[in-house]
Amino acid sequence: MMEKVLDPEALVDPAAALLKLTLTPESRAQTILHLTIAAEQAEVLMSGPIGDADEPAPVYQP
Amino acid sequence: MTPLLDGSAHAIANAVRDGLTSAVAITEAALGRIEIRDGAYGAFTDLVTKRAFERAAVIDAARARGERLGPLAGAPFAVKNLFDVKGLPTRAGSEINRERPPADADATLVARLEAAGAVLVGALNMGEYAYDFTGQNAHDGPSRNPHDHAHMSGGSSGGSGSAVAGGLVPIALGSDTNGSIRVPSSFCGVFGLKPTYGRLSRVGAFPFVSSLDHLGPFARSVVDLAATYDAMLGRDAADPAQADVAPMPTAITLDDGIAGLRIAKLGGYFARCGETCAFEAVDRIAAALNAERTVELAEAERARAAAYLITMSEGAALHIDRLRARAADFDPDVRDRLIAGAMLPGAWLVQAHKFRRRYREQALALFADADILLAPATPCRAPKLDQKTFKLDGKEMLVRPNLGVFTQPISFVGLPVVSVPVWTDGEKLPIGVQIIAPPWREDLALRVARALERDGVVSAPVAHFA
Repeated sequence: MMEKVLDPEALVDPAAALLKLTLTPESRAQTILHLTIAAEQAEVLMSGPIGDADEPAPVYQP
Repeated sequence: MTPLLDGSAHAIANAVRDGLTSAVAITEAALGRIEIRDGAYGAFTDLVTKRAFERAAVIDAARARGERLGPLAGAPFAVKNLFDVKGLPTRAGSEINRERPPADADATLVARLEAAGAVLVGALNMGEYAYDFTGQNAHDGPSRNPHDHAHMSGGSSGGSGSAVAGGLVPIALGSDTNGSIRVPSSFCGVFGLKPTYGRLSRVGAFPFVSSLDHLGPFARSVVDLAATYDAMLGRDAADPAQADVAPMPTAITLDDGIAGLRIAKLGGYFARCGETCAFEAVDRIAAALNAERTVELAEAERARAAAYLITMSEGAALHIDRLRARAADFDPDVRDRLIAGAMLPGAWLVQAHKFRRRYREQALALFADADILLAPATPCRAPKLDQKTFKLDGKEMLVRPNLGVFTQPISFVGLPVVSVPVWTDGEKLPIGVQIIAPPWREDLALRVARALERDGVVSAPVAHFA
């Protein structure tokens, strides 16, 4: 099984402190939910190759 | 005046030009209709009555002097309230922004539509800071679906979809970062154009995700959609994100038909993450266009994931100071997604942008053998206003972040798309299909949409108002 890319429960409080964000209990729970969804999306993103030489597109033009 | 208000901007402009009515009379009728109907729709947040009458009077005076009028002469329009409108604070759907000083100039696209003769009548409801697919707004209430008020208009340009479908204005502007023009177009049963990324100026529009933000029009006819888009074309030196690509007006080729165009359906991901009605709508469009081939856009799911993460991360970066200082003043559904976005590893953002370039190559390769691709615009018809979850591909999901499953992998590439409305006998609500073209070929997507409209396959009727 693939190792989880992020642990929302472990991240939320120290990250909030670092970012100087104040979370109510309701906001904390919802933030964890959205971190969980983001972690699922990150697993999808990282499921295929992204090469060292691949260039990002900071000023993107199709 | 009812037939003109229910008709097209094109017909209004012709009537004004021919002296059958005046721009002032049209403006008065449109504002009167908004006053009567908008309580039910929740589409408008601001009216600019004095400005509209002044502008209309200028058009009528120009006609009286025998001057040539613009292509949209006298046609009322309205804009999502993230567009700067001189004299209004640009609220962008938020409580916080309405404390800003009034804009001291119009957004470029607003100015260009007025230069073409259109008359701005007001600003439109939207999801807070454009982070929404539902049309809900915690501060102003929801914009409602004119075809069934108990259902969502779609977001985040919900007021734009609602105002056009409800017959309040024939044309409107919105923004689309991940689907915010195409989702409300689908739910409200109107035509929407998301142009190529970098095509239209974004100057004077409140941003959301710079890497993905697009602006574009809504209309009830493809002729109006093309005319509105054409009027907004042109280089804007103040916009560093605008591409240095020559404008290509679309009206002159609009009726060229589909002969010679190679059209294919997108399969794979685009044929499995939605309800049956979404795929049936694509099949109907494909049959009408004699599109028998199905092609696959590889790694669409990864593209959607990358767009999702870029949106969270860039959106959070934009709002981090407001999240610190004014957290209680946000819509909680928006705030907590942004807070989570602020906590994401930077490496994910960079990886997502690196993947974007790879995915672009795969998407562009499809156009070696096809001129137009077809895909659903939304995974379902408009959900009910209070619906929080739905089932996609066998999995229970939140509605709000997942209505863009089919739009996100397309805007992630920056491809131009026209969303066309498909109706089914016995169903009150429509659903949209994306007509997707290669970069800079809005003309092709509009041509196909126009052919479908002309053949009666798609249409955008004004909703019945009881």
